[in-house]
Amino acid sequence: MDSAPVVRIRGLVKNYKDVHAVRGLDLDVPRGSLFGLIGSDGAGKSSTMKTVAGVMGYDHGTVEVFGQAIDSEAAAERIKLRLGFMPQGLGQNLYPDLSIEENIDFFARLRLVKADDLVERKEKLLRMTRLDKFRDRAMKNLSGGMKQKLGLVCTLIHEPELIILDEPTTGVDPVSRRDFWAILAELLAEKGISALVSTAYMDEASRFHHAALMHHGRILAHGEIEELIHLQPGTVVSVAVQPQLEALNRLRSRFEQVVALGNFLRVFVPAQDASADEVVKDVLSGLEVSEVQTDTPELEDIYVGLLESSGDGQAVRDLPSPPEGTVIHLDPDRPVIEAKNLVRDFGAFRAVDHVSFDVRPGEIFGLLGANGAGKTTVIKMLTGILRPSDGAGSVAGADMRHSGSTIKKRIGYMSQAFSLYQDLTVVENIRLYAGIYAVPPKEVEPRLRWIVDLAGLEGMEGALTGSLPMGLRQRLALGCALVHRPPILFLDEPTSGVDPMGRREFWDVLFRLSRQEEVGLLVTTHYMVEAEYCDRIALMHAGKVVAYDSPAGLKSDVEGRFGQLLEVRCETPYKAQNVLRSGGFDDATLHGRRVQVLAPDAEKVKTQVKSLLERAGIPVHDIRRLPLTMENVFVQNVLDLEHKAGMAA
Amino acid sequence: MNFREVFQHMRVMTFKELIQFRRDIFLLIVVVYAFSADIYVAGSGIEMELKQAALTVADYDQSPASRDLIYSFRQPQFKYQGMEMNADHAMDLLDAGKTMLYLEIPADFNEALLSGKPTQVQLFVDTSNSVLGSLATSYAAQIVAGFGIQKAMERLSVGGAMGGGLPMVNSAHRVWFNPNGSDRWFVPINEMITMITMLSIMLPAAAMVREKERGTVEQLLVSPLTPLEIMLPKVLAMTFVILIGVTLAVFGVLGPVFEIPFRGNMLLFYVLTAIYVFSTAGFGLAISTVVNNLAQVGLMVIMLLSPMLLLSGAFVPPEAMPTALGYLILLSPMHHYIEIVMGIFLKGIGLDVLWPSVMGLLLVGTGVFAFGTWRFRRQFG
Repeated sequence: MDSAPVVRIRGLVKNYKDVHAVRGLDLDVPRGSLFGLIGSDGAGKSSTMKTVAGVMGYDHGTVEVFGQAIDSEAAAERIKLRLGFMPQGLGQNLYPDLSIEENIDFFARLRLVKADDLVERKEKLLRMTRLDKFRDRAMKNLSGGMKQKLGLVCTLIHEPELIILDEPTTGVDPVSRRDFWAILAELLAEKGISALVSTAYMDEASRFHHAALMHHGRILAHGEIEELIHLQPGTVVSVAVQPQLEALNRLRSRFEQVVALGNFLRVFVPAQDASADEVVKDVLSGLEVSEVQTDTPELEDIYVGLLESSGDGQAVRDLPSPPEGTVIHLDPDRPVIEAKNLVRDFGAFRAVDHVSFDVRPGEIFGLLGANGAGKTTVIKMLTGILRPSDGAGSVAGADMRHSGSTIKKRIGYMSQAFSLYQDLTVVENIRLYAGIYAVPPKEVEPRLRWIVDLAGLEGMEGALTGSLPMGLRQRLALGCALVHRPPILFLDEPTSGVDPMGRREFWDVLFRLSRQEEVGLLVTTHYMVEAEYCDRIALMHAGKVVAYDSPAGLKSDVEGRFGQLLEVRCETPYKAQNVLRSGGFDDATLHGRRVQVLAPDAEKVKTQVKSLLERAGIPVHDIRRLPLTMENVFVQNVLDLEHKAGMAA
Repeated sequence: MNFREVFQHMRVMTFKELIQFRRDIFLLIVVVYAFSADIYVAGSGIEMELKQAALTVADYDQSPASRDLIYSFRQPQFKYQGMEMNADHAMDLLDAGKTMLYLEIPADFNEALLSGKPTQVQLFVDTSNSVLGSLATSYAAQIVAGFGIQKAMERLSVGGAMGGGLPMVNSAHRVWFNPNGSDRWFVPINEMITMITMLSIMLPAAAMVREKERGTVEQLLVSPLTPLEIMLPKVLAMTFVILIGVTLAVFGVLGPVFEIPFRGNMLLFYVLTAIYVFSTAGFGLAISTVVNNLAQVGLMVIMLLSPMLLLSGAFVPPEAMPTALGYLILLSPMHHYIEIVMGIFLKGIGLDVLWPSVMGLLLVGTGVFAFGTWRFRRQFG
């Protein structure tokens, strides 16, 4: 087998006018590897992938694909038949009005696939992706997950040696994401092709064989996933401690990476002589520590650690105390949001089906679910934009059925798009919202200063909002939503597009708001990792709340019902996965070069797995227990429901 | 209803629209262009007058009479371009657009005239531009007829002494309001009205769609603003912008460049223009409820504008339309507005005469605005 890399990049530079998208990038993608480009929006992932695919020129450096330099349009044309490229965005390269089959046929003809080959490949790929039942359905009527699977099929129909997938899983629900990765792993193992895949989800890193962490057009680190984890040796310690704010401040003064996750504080303790949990307990002496756990660090810890040591990290700031003035007062003992059996029908379609939950003052409440699960409809009803078809609820002490205008005055709302006016300056935006929320003119100035302080925008008051980096824009949007000091804040996907560092800082502000100012926060997110930041969560699927508890509670529930998560490191992991599946572990899934299984009885399963694999001639290196993630929780709950629905039908 | 709050909402939102407009270089250029260069180009470029129409002649007679006739086709309407005796070549010239008229004078032309026999000349006219073509045809017919009468008169006065005894009617016209009858007045004013109409639909629609495109409308909807408080500031701000544009057009182009006198009451003109813009914005608001981006706004405006122009009476007077259309035109706010502008501008008349048009504008405008408001509120219902 040829050992030369399929893609070799040296000193790649790509500029868009004044924007430096890629600034000197070196990269080798080994043959047969599932290679991940991991980074947030604007890290330069798409630009890199487009140059490799030969669809975009570049300014400096060399790009070699299959050993051929891509330095001209003609050179790019020569390699195009040997690679497949799927651009970013759900079904961007597909034709909405064509059916699944017509789309595949079109791409096959475009790539001059022979008729006989086409029939054979098409059937196989459709079967693998379980799209065969929907072959006549128009692409525009497919769900996000199905669109991405179809995109993958169309990319693979000419059997390329290298596939380039730009954020294939963004905006796809966790269950479909899991499917997508499984299909990709299978294809790679069977066809021996290489894949260059980008993602903004840090937790997807474990799916890759190799990965490069990107930030601001540069690579922070790259290599095998195991190597990356060891770049910043250390331990993660999670403690439940009271009072939380005091503990957070103490830990912050000692450690660089401290985040508040609901009831827990999570600390990254760099490797040292003393044991990590003792060090943390020492710092917290005198406070009421109720629980301590230690874990191995995750890639996000490494990424943030690397950013901090490269000087790109930002100091965490205290929340400035708000100015005196008009504040909306509510009964502190009543929930700020109460939803009772909310129902909303759109024609025959029930978008929200008897949803109940409550949010208490000073609580961070997460509404989790895939696109189309009904989160947005719930929020629209609670904010008084949409009338519920049935059910009741109160928001900020007002009945949501007929006090819409009272509710609107009492709540703060920050949307996904950070709905600021990009062509207004920072100050103009704040003044606008102050006017909209009828802040008394005398109080506008002090609040303006408070928001500028809160968002860390000193010296940028006159800058156009559109010129600010994403992270600052996000905090300005938060500030604008707080201009009338509401006791409740709705945040709809507030962190999309912000890098991990910015996300952490943002959650820090939210945490302080909830604990210091007793603001009740209702947050929706599709980043499953972010669910960990919430005190309590309602998990939505198909219009219903399928689970409603604290993150720890949800995890222990799943652990009780389905078992613990085991990770198997062994040779030929793809073969191992199949051996395990046929040996009774239906849920065995491939994660990069490891296999994960759910085990109701960990010790018993460990021996079973070991003997199964060894009987099949697969040497096992190591089996260890992994903590469940919120993604596991989501996927298990949804699969269980679908299973039950299937049984009932 | 708290008036302090409503006032605060209106103030900050209107101010916001104006700042956004000022920072939107593209829209700024469009508005400045529409009220200056566009009117100038329209006013000085499009002239529905026959000028320098090329005339080619085949004179088979070569006599004093034939030369007389040829020289009757004078500048500035016509321009004698030369002889072309080969009929095929002459047809080629017509096909290629190198000549507009081709005149054939038969060999016995002079003789026939002298002997008092009727004779004919043949004229080919390129009427692919129907306006210029029909102008050329009718001028040419007039010239030939005039030439015929003149020759007949000469013969009569030579033959007998009855020269003064022929009955004749002379018309003495007095052209009012536009003494030179020049298109240079009508066209630019008309163009300004078209631009006002286009922008009063487009600007509010664009302002609204921009909120949709950038997702800020979601934020406004969860705010304490009522749909009217979201909508009215946009219309107010854009009305203000258009009035500034109109000022530029009236004092920067119509007056100094086209020397169009402003004969009426300036205040009345501005007030009625504001009412017109405000009510026409109703179309823009209605558009903004069905489209999702600026490109679609552009397409909708184009689609809406052509029937509006046709029904405005600017090109075809209502009297010349089929009866049903003639009534339909009364429903066009633009029709009433044109009556008002031409009246104030050129005739210098006031409300005492214009009141039917003003009433029409108010009634139709209220209807349009109510329709836009209804659509706008319904989309958030």
